[in-house]
Amino acid sequence: MYADTVTQDRLVTKPGFLLPCFFLSSVVFFFAGFGDSFFGHLLAPVSGDPETSGRFGDFAVAVTLAMLFTANVVALSFVPWVIQVVLVWLELLGLFLLFFYSFDLSIEFIERKIWFMISRGLFTTLYVSAVSIAIASAIAIVGAVAKLSSNGFAFAIASFYTSFFRGLPLLMQVYLIYLGLPQLGYVVDAVPAGILALSLCYGAYMTEIFRAGIESIHKGQWEAARALGFKFPTTMRKIILPQALPLIIPPTGNQFIAMLKDSSLVSVIGVWELMFLAKTLGQKEFKHLEMLITAALIYWALTIVLEIIQARIERYYRQKK
Amino acid sequence: MKIIQHILFSVALVLTGANFALAGDTLDRVKEAGVLKVATDADWAPQSFLNDDNEMDGFDVDVAKEIAKRMGIEIEFVTPDWTVITSGNWAGRWDISVGSMTPTAERAQVLEFPGIYYYTPASFAVHNDSSAQSKVDLNGKKIGACTACTYEFYLQHDLNIDAEGAPPFSYDVTPGEIVSMEDPAILFDNLRLGDGVRLDGMIDSLPAIRSAIENGAPIRVLGTPAFYEPLAIAIDRGDKEFHHALKDIVQLMHRDGTLSRLSEKWYGIDYSKSSN
Repeated sequence: MYADTVTQDRLVTKPGFLLPCFFLSSVVFFFAGFGDSFFGHLLAPVSGDPETSGRFGDFAVAVTLAMLFTANVVALSFVPWVIQVVLVWLELLGLFLLFFYSFDLSIEFIERKIWFMISRGLFTTLYVSAVSIAIASAIAIVGAVAKLSSNGFAFAIASFYTSFFRGLPLLMQVYLIYLGLPQLGYVVDAVPAGILALSLCYGAYMTEIFRAGIESIHKGQWEAARALGFKFPTTMRKIILPQALPLIIPPTGNQFIAMLKDSSLVSVIGVWELMFLAKTLGQKEFKHLEMLITAALIYWALTIVLEIIQARIERYYRQKK
Repeated sequence: MKIIQHILFSVALVLTGANFALAGDTLDRVKEAGVLKVATDADWAPQSFLNDDNEMDGFDVDVAKEIAKRMGIEIEFVTPDWTVITSGNWAGRWDISVGSMTPTAERAQVLEFPGIYYYTPASFAVHNDSSAQSKVDLNGKKIGACTACTYEFYLQHDLNIDAEGAPPFSYDVTPGEIVSMEDPAILFDNLRLGDGVRLDGMIDSLPAIRSAIENGAPIRVLGTPAFYEPLAIAIDRGDKEFHHALKDIVQLMHRDGTLSRLSEKWYGIDYSKSSN
């Protein structure tokens, strides 16, 4: 964002900010009714037995929490930007874990199952996504060239394809391919069917990304290539694509991250990926939440790693410019 | 033009419903491969589930293993969605379903049922806090059942069991609202939240309800079983030889007490006879 050079008073030094902040958070904490919770027990010497303190207990806890919250906001405003970001992240993460901790989950059960979730579930999720994104890229480049083509036949097929596969829910495509193809005599197993559905769906989205990337190259480049006597494939390979790739690769990385999560949809046809195992592993002992939260954290950790890689790639291409 | 011809040809195939996967060759294929591919659920303890070694285990799984053993071949499990199994037209993806399937008249149009291997009571369950004392107390309430399964058909008063020896039953409950869930396990999770929070009650197999209670779900069985359903193995239509081979195997397993033994092992009760 544009860095403002006008210095103003800190917002947190103004009562017009601090008082509403305090009152609003008190109201929120009051209606959350924390009187009979962990906090209520902490405050027991002041507000009395949490079991019986009722509305007064809620009020006492709410005011205390609101003071802590406001003090926290003020304290955070005095540290440098980087430390602010790190601290707020850690605080939110802590609240998040506290939230899960309050579910009274069986850590022992998670420890027993997590290795299988990673070795089987995460592995399947990753390779299904990786194969699909590779095929989708191949489809996308053909689709993009067809969409930009002056040949009406090629354009019609490509636009029909993108319209159809962008217009249907991915879950429906998974079912259509898994159940529909055998009617034609091509019996596909669950994993290939899932890969096919993901490739076709994401191929359609990526066709548009590739098309936009290719279109962004100035007309003069084509004319210069023609003047040098280059044929279409050579122009594409040597001149257009090398310039278009920096525009294409970052959104493709985003698509890969999105696909990683969408690959959970192929669990409905019995592919043993992360989502499928999250649903089934906890079933016998009725520990669904344990497995769902574990899978959620695995997905999250994975996307964080991928986002870092993504940021690196973007920086690389920015520097090259 | 070749591409257009090809597309037209494909479209014609879809319209005529032509199916290249030949029916009637299941037994040959199974024997040639030496592997019996069994479709079952991985999410339905104690019938079939992933055990602590992360392998398929359970009553249905044991029955399937016994069938493969008697055919003298290996076994392999696949875990497609239940609705994909019951809609038939398997096209040779798997050879047999050992998944406690009730042979309803509708399913018999797309599948064959070579043998009934046990009978299980279907019961209603409510939260421990519920005031309901008998099944009729659930009339007009919000009742959960799994999607496209016999329990949902029962709630819809549309259950036609197409099998010999199926005990008669009556529709005792007319729910106000049927909450249909793809995954029966989620029903238990919803019911345990509290009486009437998301569900006033649910219907499922009595063994599954008992297993939930043993694992600490705060629920109880309500009244006597709603109905007893015969449960069969299922195969795709059209292979007489395979049908008869399986029929013989299941009958033999009934006669020599294998099914009684397996039922005792998993349920503590012998469900293999219809008279209980």
